[in-house]
Amino acid sequence: MRRGRIEWLLGGGLVVLFLAISIAPGLFAGSPDAVAVTRRLEAPSAEFWFGTDETGRDVYARVVHGAGSTLGVVATAIALAGVLGGSLGALAGFAGRLPDLALSRSADALLAFPPIILGVVLASTLGTGAGNLILALAIIYAPVFFRVARAAALMETGRAYVEAARTLGHGEWAVLTRHVARNVAPSVVLQCVILFPLALQIQAALGFLGLGVPPPSPDWGASLQESRNYLTVAPWLAIFPGLALLLAAMATSLLGRALQTAGR
Amino acid sequence: MVEALLRRIGATLATAVLATGVVFLLIRAVPGDAIGEMLGQSAGDPAAEAALRAFFGLDRPVWSQYLSWAGDVLQGDLGTSMRQGLPVWGIVTDAFLVTLQIGLVTLLVAILVGVPLGLAAGSRPGGAMDMLVEGFTLVSLSAPVFWTGMVLLILADAWLGWAPPLVYTSPEISLSDNLESILLPVLALGLLQAGAYAQFTRQQTAALLRQDFVRAATARGLPARVIFGRHVLRNIAIPLVTYAGLILVQILGGVVVVETLFAIPGLGRTLLAAIQGRDYPVLQGALLLTVGVALMVNLLVDLAYALIDPRVRGA
Repeated sequence: MRRGRIEWLLGGGLVVLFLAISIAPGLFAGSPDAVAVTRRLEAPSAEFWFGTDETGRDVYARVVHGAGSTLGVVATAIALAGVLGGSLGALAGFAGRLPDLALSRSADALLAFPPIILGVVLASTLGTGAGNLILALAIIYAPVFFRVARAAALMETGRAYVEAARTLGHGEWAVLTRHVARNVAPSVVLQCVILFPLALQIQAALGFLGLGVPPPSPDWGASLQESRNYLTVAPWLAIFPGLALLLAAMATSLLGRALQTAGR
Repeated sequence: MVEALLRRIGATLATAVLATGVVFLLIRAVPGDAIGEMLGQSAGDPAAEAALRAFFGLDRPVWSQYLSWAGDVLQGDLGTSMRQGLPVWGIVTDAFLVTLQIGLVTLLVAILVGVPLGLAAGSRPGGAMDMLVEGFTLVSLSAPVFWTGMVLLILADAWLGWAPPLVYTSPEISLSDNLESILLPVLALGLLQAGAYAQFTRQQTAALLRQDFVRAATARGLPARVIFGRHVLRNIAIPLVTYAGLILVQILGGVVVVETLFAIPGLGRTLLAAIQGRDYPVLQGALLLTVGVALMVNLLVDLAYALIDPRVRGA
């Protein structure tokens, strides 16, 4: 089988699966908060596929119910970063000169930080909770979108159709929104898919550091933090949320690679 | 060439100034500060609070605090920790050396594992080895690095019955204890970056093999071994070396979570502790060092390209 087809099938299949789990977790598992006190820290079995945690909750149910919040936070953050960085980037590339210089320098300043470190600072500044986590991740990745959109807009602005639109008497705003922005959009969308696995890792790391969505939410990163004290006693607590993260990141990077090859 | 170089250095400096300014503003926006906690039982006493604030200069406007901090930094003074009362420079550089050692050993692992894998995969695109390496890079780049660390801890316990000492030993005290304490963190980070290195090497090799001069060499009847050694390796050596700089920056950033997991007193943990304790001078110093190293390495990588490859110079 051709390599591209494997990427599409595996990546696409996994993405659909994760989407289904995120949207309707109830179809796949019972309650993530149901407690069976007498059955604490049980190893995986036919009844509890992924075992139980320190309060007797079903790890499988928690991993399934954690998908929506974990992946939802990342998807929202990426979308927000894409809109924010994308529009500012298109504007900077199109307007040129002073606005470009100011925006580009600001983007560079944010890009100078390793993403996780910027994430730690931002998450501590904003405080815990899903909304703040989304905002922090969006600020980290907006500069990346800015650069991509700016480069694309610079290229488009030099094209003949932009000159033609101007000659026809269209206003600058119309040329930007109706022509340039539409041609910049595909690179921004592709960037969303490429950045998703990276943002997911940062989301998980912040959760692990206790700076993400706080417990008792079944967020995967937060679950990994809770599992730390039981690593050798109950390794399944750490294995399964991590595997979920691994598979979700893999699915989106496969899809990203397939899209990149298709675009060439 | 000189003009482009100066412009590049100027842009880097401007970025550094802007980045430290952003940091300065951001961390002062963090809710709560060190003063309340320092006062302990006498918290709520406005006179004591005002006195402490004035002592640390926190009563002045932010821009004035920034200017005096920046002035001190230019004279090589990063200030004094509000919590430990020690010079920030010492705290931050001690921590950085710990992180740097892990970073350099990790880089070595990544190169030793990643480059051969990438060469093997790239020399026959689409072959069985290529597929295997592709799978390896996919998994290693998708796994959260702290989770890889946790899995290593679990495996070490299950297979070897070995639990690593979660206490860091400096190499000056005992090299063997030091290596034992950084073994798993280096492996976790190394697996990730070996994937990155393998992917990069594969791309470079495969792209090079498609070049006309390689085809010409094949047409002249040169054996594959000679083509590989004389033409391919020489050409990808430069990008591979410069890539090391970028990977090192990535490792120094990604090490934060791993240091927390393995209780290593590196720059990442110092930074986290400074944020939690609202120790502004230490936090500023640690961030300045992180950003400074990242900007410097990026600049050096660009310079290296320009020095080695004349085609880049005009750009």
